[in-house]
Amino acid sequence: MNKNLGFLGFGTLFGFVLSRTGASDYDLIVGMFIGYDYTLVGVIGTAIITGAIGMRILNKFKHPVKNGEPLKVKAKELSRWSILGAGIFGLGWGITGACPGTVLAQLGEGKIYGFFSFIGMIFGTYLYARLKEKYPLL
Amino acid sequence: MILEIYSNIFINPWPYWAGGIIIGLLVPLLYYYYNTALGVSTGYGNLVKILLPAGKLKWIQEKYPDPWNWRVYFIAGIILGGFISSTLSGNFGFTLDMGRFTTLVGWPTIAGVIYFFSGGLLLGLGARIAGGCTSGHSIHGIANLHGSSILVTIFFLIGGIIAANLVQAVLMGGNW
Repeated sequence: MNKNLGFLGFGTLFGFVLSRTGASDYDLIVGMFIGYDYTLVGVIGTAIITGAIGMRILNKFKHPVKNGEPLKVKAKELSRWSILGAGIFGLGWGITGACPGTVLAQLGEGKIYGFFSFIGMIFGTYLYARLKEKYPLL
Repeated sequence: MILEIYSNIFINPWPYWAGGIIIGLLVPLLYYYYNTALGVSTGYGNLVKILLPAGKLKWIQEKYPDPWNWRVYFIAGIILGGFISSTLSGNFGFTLDMGRFTTLVGWPTIAGVIYFFSGGLLLGLGARIAGGCTSGHSIHGIANLHGSSILVTIFFLIGGIIAANLVQAVLMGGNW
């Protein structure tokens, strides 16, 4: 199948599931950080465990990638600023009650504040590109 | 019986494990079909190139030769998925409702707009400096036992805990 259409399909499934489990719900995300609701810890934890088991099984396939290519799994490299970036990201996560994936589901649900979180993320990425001109190591 | 299955899929909220299993399966599935790592935030660079005058920025030029690649389709799909979920469950609607933010923080709409925009700014900037977000680092990275992703996720959580507790203490007057 066409790769773009495939990703449209997988993205739709992802957004649908995020919305069904309440991962796009402000109260569940912020409530998790304050310690009132651990539903999303369950969602993320189950996802990590399922993903880990799935990758183990995939690695046992004769052809882990359908077209016969070798599997390309690469750890993301850290820069000296990565931890700081992660902290900044976390603050945004706790402020908006959204992350780059769940905000898209919020958008689809018609949440107006989610739309502004989304616009903020686009400008935040733009800001990174501007900073990167001055500070190439970022 | 059929009505019950329909309700459990499309109307009632899902139990956490059902959602977690499907989201987790996306990791090996995307490798199997496309040899591609699950991740959302990188796609925001596509949107920058498409929507903003970013032509002169070197990072955008180098990282995003073709902004209309699969990442935009993945983003479009997630929006569509949220729309389908909320429409079928009868919850779709353009709304300023944001749970306890709306009920406990008595701000005028424009202040809320600035608040969420600012938080989004931090998310976009932070994700690029950290090299990924909840999906790329916390789910994909940890599922592949990458130490860098575990470390980054710990700091995602620290930031989230600090921000959310401050919001509750200061903006919500300690209520929930």
